[in-house]
Amino acid sequence: MSKPLLSIKNVSKSFSLGDYEIQALQQVSLDLNKGECLAIVGESGSGKSTLANIIMGIYPQSDGEISFKGSTLPLKRLLSHRKDIQFVQQNPLSSINPSRSIGESLRLPLDVHRIGHANERNNRVSELLTEVGLTSNYSKRYPSTMSGGQLQRVAIARALACAPELVVLDEPTSSLDVLVQSRVLSLLQKLRKKRSLSFLFVTHDLAVVRNIADYVAVFKEGKLVELNGVNELFSKPVHSYTKRLLSAIPVISEDEIQLLNQIKEKE
Amino acid sequence: MKLKIKILLANPLSFMGLLLISLVFGSAIFADFITPFPLHKGAVVDFSNFNQAPNLTNIMGTDLVGRDLFTRIIYAFRISIMLGIVVLIISVPIGVFMGLLAGYSGGKLDFVLMRITDVFLSIPPLVLAMAVMGLLEPTILNGMLAVTAMWWPWYTRLIYNLTRSEKEEGYVVAAEVVGASRWHIMFREILPNCTHAIITKMTLDFGFVILIVSSLSFLGLGVQAPTPDLGSMVAEGARYLPDSWWLTVFPGLAILIIVFGFNLVGDALRDMMDTDS
Amino acid sequence: MSDSLLDIQNLSLSFQGLTETVDVLDNINLSISRGERVALVGESGSGKSVIARIILGLLQSQKGAIVKGSVRFRGIELEAATGNQIESLRGREISMIFQDPTSSMNPVYKIGTIFHEILNRGTHNISKKLALIKASKLLEEVSITEFKRVLESYPFQLSGGMNQRVMIALALANKPALLIADEPGTALDVTVQAQTLKLMHNLVKKNNTAVLFISHNLGVVHQFADRVYVIYKGRIVESGSTSSIFENTKHPYTKALMNAVPKITSKSFFDASDDSSLFKQPAFHHKDREIGQ
Repeated sequence: MSKPLLSIKNVSKSFSLGDYEIQALQQVSLDLNKGECLAIVGESGSGKSTLANIIMGIYPQSDGEISFKGSTLPLKRLLSHRKDIQFVQQNPLSSINPSRSIGESLRLPLDVHRIGHANERNNRVSELLTEVGLTSNYSKRYPSTMSGGQLQRVAIARALACAPELVVLDEPTSSLDVLVQSRVLSLLQKLRKKRSLSFLFVTHDLAVVRNIADYVAVFKEGKLVELNGVNELFSKPVHSYTKRLLSAIPVISEDEIQLLNQIKEKE
Repeated sequence: MKLKIKILLANPLSFMGLLLISLVFGSAIFADFITPFPLHKGAVVDFSNFNQAPNLTNIMGTDLVGRDLFTRIIYAFRISIMLGIVVLIISVPIGVFMGLLAGYSGGKLDFVLMRITDVFLSIPPLVLAMAVMGLLEPTILNGMLAVTAMWWPWYTRLIYNLTRSEKEEGYVVAAEVVGASRWHIMFREILPNCTHAIITKMTLDFGFVILIVSSLSFLGLGVQAPTPDLGSMVAEGARYLPDSWWLTVFPGLAILIIVFGFNLVGDALRDMMDTDS
Repeated sequence: MSDSLLDIQNLSLSFQGLTETVDVLDNINLSISRGERVALVGESGSGKSVIARIILGLLQSQKGAIVKGSVRFRGIELEAATGNQIESLRGREISMIFQDPTSSMNPVYKIGTIFHEILNRGTHNISKKLALIKASKLLEEVSITEFKRVLESYPFQLSGGMNQRVMIALALANKPALLIADEPGTALDVTVQAQTLKLMHNLVKKNNTAVLFISHNLGVVHQFADRVYVIYKGRIVESGSTSSIFENTKHPYTKALMNAVPKITSKSFFDASDDSSLFKQPAFHHKDREIGQ
């Protein structure tokens, strides 16, 4: 049994706002193995984004430990961590610098981690752009001339620039339109397979989870309430909250409606 | 960029502003060619012609030693513009650097830098400049130094606020998470998003700097005779109102044109910024 | 067609900019009858939200807006209507709920005050006391039991879900004939959204309120609407009853939308074709037993 790629042990996080103490995460433990896609599902206040931010080192946990490839992740991340663990945020309009060209934004990780020779890096940028379905002339463009879907592809390209092992995605398609969303999700699936990446996929959308995840962790108000393989979760959900989430999915087709009815009947 | 220029030209107010500014700059650059009495910018006297009301030879009249007022005003434009440029070129980078550093670093550095800035901001600009001049010899260089010393804090505060809000944006988080250094983030990520605000403020400031310098000269601190300066001219002529009205009115109008022109363009730039966000 | 409430014909909208004219809507035909629940489905930039603003007369005054065509409410041409007529329509006969409930209410007023203002439009000079009593009943109808606390609160003190229900109560306060709902519940959690929609469904049925439901979410549309209009880049590309649209989809764009929604019974995502020329096919209007398109 090989060691998990990412191991979260008893992580808690509280924020203090004046007199209030908000418990964003309570004693969360889970593992992600190499090559897996683990989905973190929950609604607002579930703590799912908080966990993603803690893993990325944006702020530290209040308690508990996170290890990557067997060793604990220090508060001040090493450069190697910044290379191996990458981040795709929800809003591409905010996560890509509006005052820099796409090429400049994509070169940044290459320059920071000194990938290849300096004069080769622009070629790398072109390769990355084509890999995410954009043409290399996008390199000279600025975000204001591009759509949300295109920008999210750039964000994905940026995350892949250093050939990471783990990619944390926080609601990567939630701010995108229906058709664009499905294209980007399809792209993510392809890329994951092609590069054998491990994904930590944070979302509120269970239908998306069904199609991309291997394992699912359901969060409610800071606590992990259910953790299971995706097939099992959808056929035999255990926790009542999971069932509520499932029945709230707005489905269209008959077979989906039947599936949900089956779950409801089992209660 | 092209679109922004188009918008500036389309708006009648900013168009007028741009026209005025071009007029001022143009005449300052080509002063040697367009002025009828280029030598009058210096120490020249012509007592046979002194204190003349505006006439055909001297369209704005002559001053108390006989120099052509129109010529002196055009050369004064040149001095004002140079002063404005020098003051801003020095104070803006200092102010911006401090604002970025304080805004991004937070903590103790933020506290120290911003309290220093607050001290400077709390003293009325002219009073501060006068105090500095009181300690130094009244020369043009010292005048510029005094104004520069009190100008940078305004940029620090502007950039500090901008930096603090930009810090929360996704692209800063993305750069941090990718491992970029704080210097890269401050100067290559955040600063490019501040340029519009800086340019707008510099435009609005230009007129104001010239006004302050003129005020210093008006008080006798700053530009000294025989160098022409709009403020000094107004000061000299003030005693002779209302008889030799041209001595004050024309230099005064000249100050008005500069400040008004830059204000119009600066306002238009600021409006563009608001719609951006 | 005495049952026809809203009748939009040949509506088009373009914006005159500095350098060019942008066409936003092209030849929109849409009608809603009393008590009908009609959905307008499209992605962002399709023009769906702008139609709502035109109905309420909120767009016509915008700089550079060129509106052509006819929008009739109860047979009255809205363009030609007097200021007073429009005033009485808005808030009384036609009301609207927005995407983000908390930010669409005035933050400096208590909920009770907001209710008073709204109810005043229906019954002029209604007393505060009477308004609060009416408001309590309305809040009960949206399943808010602690109505006293809610009426005394400011919008920012309540949760998103609570505010959504308050907004529905406000919108239905004067028993409008038509309710326009612009992406309701999109800013809310899935479970809250499901609850809210159920609530809305029951209320409009009870009051026989017609609804124009604007959304990009096909699943929600499927649950809620009687008839559907699909809009793509300013044009209606398909229209018909909900069952026709979902079971007998005809237009390539509608088909793409259906396929793009991730299903809990599948294992991969639909890679929609980038070829937008496919979507430019002429519109298809299902002939249902209803009044028409």
